[in-house]
Amino acid sequence: MTWLKKYRLEALLLAPLLLYILGFTVYPIFQTITMSFLDRFTGALTLANYREIIGKVEFKSALFNTVAFALLSLTLEMVTAIVIALILKRRFFGRGFLRAMLMVPMGVPTLVSGVAMTYIFSIHGYLNELLYRLNIIELPVDWASGGLRTLMMVSLADMWKVTPMVILILLAGLESIQDEVYEAASIDGATAWQTFRNITLPLLKPYITMAIILRAIDAFRVFELVLVLAGRATPVLSTFAYDEYNNYGNAYTSAAASTILLVIIMIFIYGYLKVGGSEEVSG
Amino acid sequence: MRGRDLSRKISDSLYLPVALLAAMAMVIPVYILFKVSVSTPGEILTAHPSFLIRDFTLEHWVKVLKSGNLKAPFVKSFAVATLTTVAAVLIASPAAYVIARMPRKIKYPLVLSLFLTRMFPEVGIALPISVQFIKMNLIDTYLGLVLAHLILNLPFAAWILVGTFETIPKDLEEAAMVDGAGKVESLIKVIMPLALPGIAVAAIFVWLNSWNEFTYALYLTVSQRTLPLQTYYYVVRGGWFDAATYATILTIPVMVVTFFLQRYMKGGYLSGAVKG
Repeated sequence: MTWLKKYRLEALLLAPLLLYILGFTVYPIFQTITMSFLDRFTGALTLANYREIIGKVEFKSALFNTVAFALLSLTLEMVTAIVIALILKRRFFGRGFLRAMLMVPMGVPTLVSGVAMTYIFSIHGYLNELLYRLNIIELPVDWASGGLRTLMMVSLADMWKVTPMVILILLAGLESIQDEVYEAASIDGATAWQTFRNITLPLLKPYITMAIILRAIDAFRVFELVLVLAGRATPVLSTFAYDEYNNYGNAYTSAAASTILLVIIMIFIYGYLKVGGSEEVSG
Repeated sequence: MRGRDLSRKISDSLYLPVALLAAMAMVIPVYILFKVSVSTPGEILTAHPSFLIRDFTLEHWVKVLKSGNLKAPFVKSFAVATLTTVAAVLIASPAAYVIARMPRKIKYPLVLSLFLTRMFPEVGIALPISVQFIKMNLIDTYLGLVLAHLILNLPFAAWILVGTFETIPKDLEEAAMVDGAGKVESLIKVIMPLALPGIAVAAIFVWLNSWNEFTYALYLTVSQRTLPLQTYYYVVRGGWFDAATYATILTIPVMVVTFFLQRYMKGGYLSGAVKG
């Protein structure tokens, strides 16, 4: 106990934070997991909650939508972010302007970005109007009608909001690559593609890993964007869990849905780190 | 060899158009939001809405400002964000200081686990908390929402502040202690003033996170709505112009602060950040 005596002050300063996280994050999650295995009325251990939600059509569609949305938006965001980060690494007139524009979506709350997107994607919205004026479509497209189209819409909305942050992460990575490496490649006569494929991409990998994990976590948990844009037509696991509790008053099935979501997130992170190598996730 | 490098030709000729397109794409949704809030219904609620603002009108703004529905949510959002910020700074900065001074072997797992609290789905945390808060009569209260907002903001603030304290040399406090200051005194008089700029930035981000926060507010509110919930309320009711106006009001402080804090918006720095 001499250790505790010596570090009494440190323990005292650290305790509130750790206790808060234990009490308000770890314990609630533990409660949710427990609740998902309890019978609603008797409190006995059961798998009934899982059986009940798995039997629901909305759940199957929520499960599919969650995974599909995460993969779709991650792909779109990473590809776009790499392209724009590479552009921002060039020196050109208007570079500062483009960089400043990146701040615009970052200064918009997620909920508000959803609201703005409803004006763009509604039946008589601006996207349809643009496509109409460009003579691409004649009749308006109903983007919120469900299926792949709606997933695409939510992904684009999400992409608008978060790609700037991914760009900043990747840009930090690009700036960490030393110019000598590129000079050497250019002396060896590497093409731009070869340089990108064999130098930039491998050296950027830790940053890509960090961006993917960050984005994947948020993409799996997507909530307000779907609530605002797609409503109940296209549920994801978060909105399904919310619906079960708030509109059907069943905390136990809601807990089961949340638990499944947590498991999916953990599997993704574990799987990605396994496959993608074991670099340190650096800040 | 060089002359036949197609990939270079493509990137050299396309990067400017792509950059221009990207810059436009980033601004247009904000423009449209603002446009809807200052347009006449005839301009928006038609099969072919106009892209430019034709009939500028402040009727929706005047209506929202005069309706008396703005003040209560605004005050609640403002008060909750401010209280959350004060509590987050008070709890997170001493803890972040201790973590920053720990040996690497303990520090990194600790910082990583702070980060990994993000992995938990918010709907999974909000559920038992809402059940509990109903029993404790904390629904619709400032206190309840502040407690909930600390869940996401404490790890976030601690994450940023560990970085801040790491940049303050240990020699300084050792020197203070040699001069006879106690641990607490050197912390308050030497370290904290030096960390103040970092603490200020963390505080501003926490304030914004709380100001924007939607999920916990949705779970913990029945009637006393925050500003984001008020916005959502009009979205659900199909009140396009009210929603656009409320959304713009909600955005203004975030946009202003983001603009002034540009240099802190770095990838690594924000990697602990909750969606803005």
